[in-house]
Amino acid sequence: MSKDTKHLRPRDLGRDVAVLSPTDDLKPLPSTFDASLEPEFKEFKDEWAETYCASLDGFVAIDTLKRPETKEEEEEFVRKFLSGLEKLFQDSNKNAVQPLALNMEFCAKCNTCSEACHIYEESNGDEIYRPSFRVDVLRRIYKKHFTTAGKMLGGFVGADIELNWETIARLAELSYRCNLCRRCAQACPMGLDNGLAAREIRKIFSQEMGIAPKAIHEKGTELQLKVGSTTGMTTPAFVDTAEFIEEDIEERTGRSFKFPMDKEGADVLLIHNAGEFIAWPDNPAAFAILLDEAGVDWTLSSEMCAYDGVNYGAWYDDIQAKKIAAKQFEVAKKLGVKRIVMGECGHAHKAIAVSADRMFAAEDKVPVESFLPLMLTLVREGRLKFDPSKNNFPVTLHDPCNYVRQMGIVQPQREIIRACTTDFREMTPHGVDNYCCGGGSGFAIMNNQNFSDFRNHVSARKKLEQIINAFGEDFENPDVLKYVCAPCSNCKGTIRELLKDYKITAKYNVQYSGLVELMVNALVSMEKPFFEFLEE
Amino acid sequence: MASVASIFALLAVIGFLILSAAKFAKYSKFNQHSRFDLYPVPKEGNGRGEYGGSYMEEDLWWEKPRSINHVAELVDMGKEMFFIRKLFMNQPSLWVPSMLFHGGIYFMMLFSVLLLIAAFVASPVLETITTVVGVIGFCCALLGCLLLLIRRLTDASLAAYTTPIEYFNLILIAAVLITGIISWLSAANVFEVARSIVTFNFAELPGIVVLHLILLGIMMLYIPASKMGHYAGKFFTFHSVLWNNEPNLPGNAVNSAVKASNAAGATVKWSAPHASPAPAPAPEPIAEEA
Repeated sequence: MSKDTKHLRPRDLGRDVAVLSPTDDLKPLPSTFDASLEPEFKEFKDEWAETYCASLDGFVAIDTLKRPETKEEEEEFVRKFLSGLEKLFQDSNKNAVQPLALNMEFCAKCNTCSEACHIYEESNGDEIYRPSFRVDVLRRIYKKHFTTAGKMLGGFVGADIELNWETIARLAELSYRCNLCRRCAQACPMGLDNGLAAREIRKIFSQEMGIAPKAIHEKGTELQLKVGSTTGMTTPAFVDTAEFIEEDIEERTGRSFKFPMDKEGADVLLIHNAGEFIAWPDNPAAFAILLDEAGVDWTLSSEMCAYDGVNYGAWYDDIQAKKIAAKQFEVAKKLGVKRIVMGECGHAHKAIAVSADRMFAAEDKVPVESFLPLMLTLVREGRLKFDPSKNNFPVTLHDPCNYVRQMGIVQPQREIIRACTTDFREMTPHGVDNYCCGGGSGFAIMNNQNFSDFRNHVSARKKLEQIINAFGEDFENPDVLKYVCAPCSNCKGTIRELLKDYKITAKYNVQYSGLVELMVNALVSMEKPFFEFLEE
Repeated sequence: MASVASIFALLAVIGFLILSAAKFAKYSKFNQHSRFDLYPVPKEGNGRGEYGGSYMEEDLWWEKPRSINHVAELVDMGKEMFFIRKLFMNQPSLWVPSMLFHGGIYFMMLFSVLLLIAAFVASPVLETITTVVGVIGFCCALLGCLLLLIRRLTDASLAAYTTPIEYFNLILIAAVLITGIISWLSAANVFEVARSIVTFNFAELPGIVVLHLILLGIMMLYIPASKMGHYAGKFFTFHSVLWNNEPNLPGNAVNSAVKASNAAGATVKWSAPHASPAPAPAPEPIAEEA
């Protein structure tokens, strides 16, 4: 079956088959990994196919995209889709119409983007995962309905895709088979951005049709705008959690600290991904220890959206992205801080520093920077003193796409790691040429139906391969502790799942965490190890 | 017929320039958009352009002067424009025919300029140089064009995406090149034809030359209207999108443009429930007096 689906054409998207392109031919992992440890796929439930669109590749990403019950519902679905597509090219989308229109008009169809895509590569070349496939489908629909040439010349200019629910739903699902890492755009000789175009497809469904995965819309941006955080944590719960972390870390490490809260006029408003407080409390604690030790004038905020720096709108919806960024700037303005510093969350970095940069007048914003240059300044100025021998194990670094490839922050993290570890090993490739963790664009938190299988087996496969290879012969030796530094909450979440599901921590002794934890563990002033795995 | 074809070819060149300018103007209208920086951005100074770094690697970057390396940007542009570097790096097997084709076209453009000069300046040396440039241009462009056509027809992964009009584009260019070569080799002195056209002193021309001039004119008018006008698109994809990382700071041009754009608003609205502004809270009911 898989060989048949290696040569699908864009106009085959509507083909009348139960599953257009089953994911049944994945690239083998490196031989140093015991292949028998690869987890099984979840058993497919027929009700998924009856309710949602599982006919693309057998996975379901969008749990709000339900099959129509009547012909009228299907026709309304098609009409709304076309309405949304048209709006992508009108002033309703003026913040993205130029790159999208350029893509519609100038793609050379050279497929150079394909080899840059980790999902295409790891699926052993499944045609539907080519970065150009989904965009060419969009282009053909756009031409057919909205260009003179398409209306007059039809198939001669590629305007040849008939629309029905199945075709449109498969396109919607296909827009969630891309991590939006934009590695394909780096390779494009025309400078076209198929990652950006995939996000534009998501916008049609969300902004016009109200269709997006619950994890990123209903339980994501909507929840954040309602209670303050996608974790569901309200302000009182956040304050309680912060106090609990202070006590817990002091008890474990002997290091006492306080999270400064809502301090007006501070130099730095530090905004974390709130998931860190729940899933990885060591991370905000490590930030607090470092900033206190260096004497930085800083604060957290307990206000709505400002104790949670995430902005899932960055993945699928400009309207939601703008609402959340507006709240975050509003809080910073109210506190009168000099700058916003983003903690270890890649998409939160890009959302507020880059994507939101031109949403508001400069006077309504507060300057934003990454935690990395600030930390590097503290290291260079000698305000943080390390004993690298405390981190005397191999360390490899994952580069989050959002602030490396998409913000150009490459060297600070490397200089810091070299200052606080003894055995730093780069992944291949790395820096701006890195591969996505596989959890980008929402995949890290989308666990509905069987979608986590797509993430853990397909989109994150390349990262797993890179981690295995980064440690060379040491990978197989459980006596050698190995550390994956993942300075981004979503990347960390994805890598956590990989290391657990593939039993890599258990069998090969590969640990993971962020960058600030490594820094604190190496602080001369720390009397006990900061990492729990070192205590053991 | 010869005079009609000659005038059409001349007008087509002018049309090419006007339509190309219109294409630039069309995309210029959309220049104010969100940031979509993608690194490496070659203009980033302090050596950062080389490894993909940016000014955002600096603590308090907005308080520091930006270092911009225009030379590095020009060099990168040149590599992309003249040598299609990204294709070479990422798909060398397709780069060979593409480079032959585009290189041939650059030679053809130079050939046209030299031919124009030679029409007014009689110089055997100039004619020799023009001839050499023309021969290289015709050969490379035609060979590249045919190789690209064959590759598209025989490579299933390319054929799956190629539409009939995209084959037509290559066939049209090949037809112009082939009729040009035949004209030059068998029917006409290229310098005399050029001189007769640009001096409006139209002489009778063999049928093949007339056909070549008509096809050439059609191609010149068609290129800017088709995706072959990507010379315009490529300027925007890099300069306006991927390399446009100018921050929005008080007093700068970006800030002015953002304010103007926000003030203008949008005439078309999205329809999802969350896209509409939340309704104003209902007024508190006025308590009825007991």
